[in-house]
Amino acid sequence: MIVLQTNASSDWAIFLGHFHPVVVHLPIGMLVMAAILEWFSRRKNLQTLQPAVAPILFTGSLTAVLSCIFGYLLSSSGEYNEDTLFWHQWLGIAVAVISLLVWYLKVYWQHIATMKKVYLPTLYIMVAFITITGHLGGNMTHGEDYLYANTPEPFRSMFGLPKRTATGSATRKIENIDEALVYQDIIAPVMEQKCWSCHNANKIKGELRMDQQDLLLKGGKHGAIIKANDPANSELIKRLLLPEEDEHHMPPKGKTPLTEQEIALLHWWIQQGAPFDKKVSQLKPDEKVKPLLTSLSSGNNAQENGESISAVFKESVSAANEEDIQKLRALNVVIMPVANGQHFLQANFVNAPNFDDAQINLLNNLSEQIIWLKLGRTKITDRSMVVVAKCKHLTHLHLEHTAITDAGLAQLQELQYLEYLNLFDTKVTDSGIQSLAKLKSLKNIYCWKSKVTKTGIQALKKALPHVEIHTGWEETTQVSTKE
Amino acid sequence: MKNLQQELLFEKLRYETRRHFLKQCTTGLGMMAMGSFLQSCGSTPQNTVASAANPLAPKMPHFAGKAKSVIYLHMAGAPSQLELFDYKPDLMKLDGKDCPPSFLEGKKFAFIRGVPQMMGPQAQFQQVGQSGAWVSDKMPYLQSVADDISFIKAMYTDQFNHAPAQLLLHTGSARLGRPSTGTWATYGLGSENQNLPGYMVLTSGGKNPDGGKALWGSGFLPSVYQGVQCRNQGEPVLYISDPAGMSRDLRKSTIDAITEINKESYEEFHDPETLARISQYEMAFRMQTTVPEVMDITKEPAYIHEMYGTQLGKESFANNCLLARKLVEQGVRFVQLFDWGWDSHGGGSEDSDVANGLTKKCSTVDKAITALIQDLKQRGLLDETLIVWGAEFGRTPMAENREGKAAAFKGRDHHTEAFTVWMAGGGIKGGYSHGETDPVGYVGIKDRTSVFDLQATIMHCLGFNHEEFTYPFQGRNFRLTDTSGKVIRSVIA
Repeated sequence: MIVLQTNASSDWAIFLGHFHPVVVHLPIGMLVMAAILEWFSRRKNLQTLQPAVAPILFTGSLTAVLSCIFGYLLSSSGEYNEDTLFWHQWLGIAVAVISLLVWYLKVYWQHIATMKKVYLPTLYIMVAFITITGHLGGNMTHGEDYLYANTPEPFRSMFGLPKRTATGSATRKIENIDEALVYQDIIAPVMEQKCWSCHNANKIKGELRMDQQDLLLKGGKHGAIIKANDPANSELIKRLLLPEEDEHHMPPKGKTPLTEQEIALLHWWIQQGAPFDKKVSQLKPDEKVKPLLTSLSSGNNAQENGESISAVFKESVSAANEEDIQKLRALNVVIMPVANGQHFLQANFVNAPNFDDAQINLLNNLSEQIIWLKLGRTKITDRSMVVVAKCKHLTHLHLEHTAITDAGLAQLQELQYLEYLNLFDTKVTDSGIQSLAKLKSLKNIYCWKSKVTKTGIQALKKALPHVEIHTGWEETTQVSTKE
Repeated sequence: MKNLQQELLFEKLRYETRRHFLKQCTTGLGMMAMGSFLQSCGSTPQNTVASAANPLAPKMPHFAGKAKSVIYLHMAGAPSQLELFDYKPDLMKLDGKDCPPSFLEGKKFAFIRGVPQMMGPQAQFQQVGQSGAWVSDKMPYLQSVADDISFIKAMYTDQFNHAPAQLLLHTGSARLGRPSTGTWATYGLGSENQNLPGYMVLTSGGKNPDGGKALWGSGFLPSVYQGVQCRNQGEPVLYISDPAGMSRDLRKSTIDAITEINKESYEEFHDPETLARISQYEMAFRMQTTVPEVMDITKEPAYIHEMYGTQLGKESFANNCLLARKLVEQGVRFVQLFDWGWDSHGGGSEDSDVANGLTKKCSTVDKAITALIQDLKQRGLLDETLIVWGAEFGRTPMAENREGKAAAFKGRDHHTEAFTVWMAGGGIKGGYSHGETDPVGYVGIKDRTSVFDLQATIMHCLGFNHEEFTYPFQGRNFRLTDTSGKVIRSVIA
């Protein structure tokens, strides 16, 4: 079982060490405040602020010293990357020393001309040091990419960051499951998503690193966590299976737990000897794991135990103008936010079958907000697509039973969030759907009773391999022969 | 002494006139009026009080749900999960052997008495589709769409009689008086098509379900949200067409005249209910043209009839499936189908056994259900329509022995501890199986799922947090799942 530390002094050290994050924000706030006050008080009308600077500097530097002590105790747990820790530690100590110096300069050496000149630059150096130290500290606690992981567009592409994925899932679709490497393609992605953030080169919780094969096998401060062929006695599996309230449960409270399927896969991998170089076909899949493996290859991600939510909900738009909405309501259009507190709109024209190209301009002012647009069975034609194309956040577009043709479809190439496109019972042809090749979010296209043929579908599938193109049920023959 | 006192009181009351009563009531009635007045002045939170002008106006859910409509297929009487989806080869080995006492101790069954015998599955099973789901040969068509379905295999309930179990499943309480799932959905979301009711009920199989009309009742919610039951033969909705001699124009001018009077009344008293009345008259007028059109399946092309296996002019589950598709296509929020006659006790005739009888019964729904899934899919509607298939409970792995005597045919008793329900479409994963029963299918051993969990999941698909979707009644907030229910996250896509 879990060996608990009995060394009393070390207990005290870690206990106090955990107060480092509590105390550390005091010097940051106070010392920066001192600098700000100093700067403001140079102005004549704010000179009265001047006497506040020295006491704030003093308390700030005292808390900085305290933070250093707590920080040193925390670092004794050995859970952090040594490089980052080195710089964080020494810069932190530097901040404490400089802040004391600044305070001394401020209170006792203002009458010496040279010292007075040194004061301001030192103050600014101190602020710079605080910034760097704080950033390094943040990197150690939250992970290297925490600060910029959610950078929005267009800054994202400006700094060359990779595009965000809609679900944030690390598990990827595997083309050929038999040829997939069990560790690299199945196990590692799970660990990457759920374990590595605390057990990596920068943050070595429990002296355990899981991001490298040899270190994963070596284990942490309580010894090995994987016993090949014996998952029931592997600390890794034991910890995963503990009740969520248990303090030894992994991942700890507040982090996303592994799904049952993920645990089943890890269990199976350990049972098979925890190999790093075997392919799926080389191991014996048991009944439980088989469907999980197939679902990995079908892209139907059974591992992902959460809802897939469109990336459009990460964008923010302003609320639509109520007048514009009322104009559509007057035409019997069902239009309202997709949910309470959302500015995105859904618009359903089921009660407005006579809606046509002349009225489509009413959508112009709502083009930012509309994400679900159900224009099926209305009298719109290709001419309306100019306006529809402006609705750049669309995820669902219904054009079934309308007079739309390839020319109209060709205008929809900028709808980067479009997941669902209904072209059932339209005159769209093979060349029309080829113009959808750029719409990478597309998941389902419905073109039953259109002029789309198998050739067209195959061509589009080359550009969008994951899209499902529905052409009506052909299975009838297959089923009716069973009778 | 006591009698004297009572007599005195009685005499005193005798002299109290209506005038006295009204005089004394001034405070009481006044306060009551004040109460309702203040309530209408206060800010009412969204989704608790429906708009008076049009209670069926579309409303927003808590979050953007994937399903816009629900089609609930209820096999009233409860088909055997052991012959359809829950494959138990080990049960075959025990076939004909006495039931172990551990299954019987402290348990109560509807009809089983004494020690019954175990009975092996009366169907051939195979793994179908890419997902390898187990579906028996009683549902050959359904086998072709198994990859669109999430099976929930360890369902349980706490009622072993049809009516209370059906009530529990659809209203969240085994007793009368609660709103049904469809009522909650229409109350919360309104209806998109303003010319059709938001919640419709279609029955087949010769009888209404045992739970009766309460299964689609509105309980303590306003009655405008209750399910509208369509007749299964002849005119679907009575009195919807104009009587002979009544022209459309005449009807229109009648409605206009009534509206005029109602408007005058509103101007005098400003009662919002009057506005509701006006809009309801107008909706009824519009429905007169839409309902016959939508409910008429004869105009569907022949291949669609072939696909569903409809029987025109007759009461049939297949007709109802086709109708359900048409209704959902028109933006109806909740369509509930009840098919009666799944109670395979094995007494009386062979039709009630789990072997040939069940095969026969399945053949009346299998093709239609499969066609419904495929038809919704090809129209792009499956994405936003949640289909739920199931019954009020399951059936025992033991053969029925009513009054201690073995049944004439192969029958199974009502079983509360394990049954299968499946979901497909809007917001649900395809080709997935949740939960597991023990090797003989007696009780769930993994991921047991209660009827409240199922209700919570349906609400989730529609965009509601079932714990926050409440209605104040008799001094407390009520919700569909009452005090329990957990969304079955693993079946959510």
